[in-house]
Amino acid sequence: MNKVLEVKNLTKKYDHFTAVDNISFFVNEGEAVGFLGPNGAGKTTTIQILLGITSPTAGTIKFFGKDFNKHKKECLQRINFASAFNTLQGRITVWENLLVFAHLYKVKSPKTKIMEFINYFEGESLLKQRYWDLSAGQKTKINLIKALINDPEIILMDEPTASLDPDVVDKTLYFIEELKKSRKITLLYTSHNMDEITRVCDKIIFLDHGKIVAEDTPLNLTKQIKTSALKLTFDGKKEEMEKYLKNQKLKYEFSNKYTVKIAIEEKLIPSVIFGISKTALWITDIEVQKPTLEDFFLHIARKGENVISSN
Amino acid sequence: MSFQVIKAILLQEFYITKHSLEVIVDLFYFSVVNIVVFGFVSLYLTGSNNPQAAHFILVGMILWEIIRVTQYSISLGSLWNIWSRNLSNMFVAPLSFMEYMIAEIIAGAVKAILIVALVGAISHFVFKFDILQLGIINLLLFFINLTIFSWSIGIIILGLIFRYGTRIQALAWGIIFIFQPLTAVFFPVRILPDFMQKIAYALPPTFIFEAARANVSNTATNWNYILISFGENIFYFILALFFFILMFNKSKETGQFARNEG
Repeated sequence: MNKVLEVKNLTKKYDHFTAVDNISFFVNEGEAVGFLGPNGAGKTTTIQILLGITSPTAGTIKFFGKDFNKHKKECLQRINFASAFNTLQGRITVWENLLVFAHLYKVKSPKTKIMEFINYFEGESLLKQRYWDLSAGQKTKINLIKALINDPEIILMDEPTASLDPDVVDKTLYFIEELKKSRKITLLYTSHNMDEITRVCDKIIFLDHGKIVAEDTPLNLTKQIKTSALKLTFDGKKEEMEKYLKNQKLKYEFSNKYTVKIAIEEKLIPSVIFGISKTALWITDIEVQKPTLEDFFLHIARKGENVISSN
Repeated sequence: MSFQVIKAILLQEFYITKHSLEVIVDLFYFSVVNIVVFGFVSLYLTGSNNPQAAHFILVGMILWEIIRVTQYSISLGSLWNIWSRNLSNMFVAPLSFMEYMIAEIIAGAVKAILIVALVGAISHFVFKFDILQLGIINLLLFFINLTIFSWSIGIIILGLIFRYGTRIQALAWGIIFIFQPLTAVFFPVRILPDFMQKIAYALPPTFIFEAARANVSNTATNWNYILISFGENIFYFILALFFFILMFNKSKETGQFARNEG
């Protein structure tokens, strides 16, 4: 499989602070790679370096097998970018914005190309509106069209759905999934939203303090978390449940007087339920929540501590 | 170098100007108000002991607009995009610094021509002073020299904004006015104190304003002043380009370029 992007020993230092610490990774053609990590992990800095708007302290970047530093213009012609933090020119209309970008990317027949995407995204009614006057969801749609205007081979997306309502996020993700299928676009995607990453990405690169701490499929990453969450609803005294769990040295959290969530290895679940049934407590409901990417995220962010996810 | 890319920036400049009342006010309104105020001052001076001073003021005012408008256009062009959080989008496209600069220079020149034509017409029809009496060739040489100077100042300010962010954005429309007294826009250089005269002669527009004042009564081209001005302009322009590249690279190194919009 062709490597669309190859990064070797990338480092970015600001005085005494290392934002990106000697990271190496690659992205294959047609692959969607998620960049995940807590705030300050170095995700956005890495994306900015990959786009050429922040210069690296060390390391090499190759797009399509070409050195980005030496063939910057040529590479940028085949890349595009979308982010919730970068908007288009607010004072001018959507049509005018898209026309500017179509020319910037030297698109042949710019008007035809814009209409192709406008029709695909059902955005005709937005064309004459000033970009500033659009809703957050409409802006995201137009940002995506801008990111597709040059038929890029890879799109770098930095939290493209940040601060959108769940309905718009769902629609945006639907469009991204459709684009992945229909155009086989390669994606490098950063987000704080685990569901989003799980839905869109084939592989995840987990960053923490500028370093890659894990790199695998979403499923394999969640498998690294040994503990599940056992949610029990019971009849009886909270104190008694607490006493039992303390005796078993289990980590737990009460949602209310009659519901407790226990962090536990899956294989120990039967024995715990059996143990509780021998007390005066009466279990009325059992729910086992398998580890998610969010658990993995929290596990890394809290330095290996077993956590009970809020699911 | 791609014409289509340059056209993209020019299109954006045109659309922003068309849609922004601020740009129209900054460019046209201030120019018209300035020429009206200075026009009336010149009418008043026409009746005084030194009627020639009236023409000096109008000549200075009209030529000053070339500097103000060109520099404004170059410096503000990027600020509109920074304020809209669109600058990164522009620079992650295959847009080179040279293409961007050429587009901004063309946009600045077009605006300056329009403004000079407008204030020149007001001066002619309302205040009975025809700027064309300086001579077409002279005017062309003045225009070239003053625009090159404005490019240098615009590029330096742009570099500072890229490097230090919008906290110094006021320079974009404020700093140019320091050159009004320093380049003796409205009065002969000899009026200035000695140390200021030395500064004045180190600045290319000074020679242009001096030559222009002489052309009010005699249209002979002062080639000496034109060439000195041009020489200084080339020197400052190269210096400005180096300064901009230095600031641009430093801005990318410190991460300020990306942070400008955050």
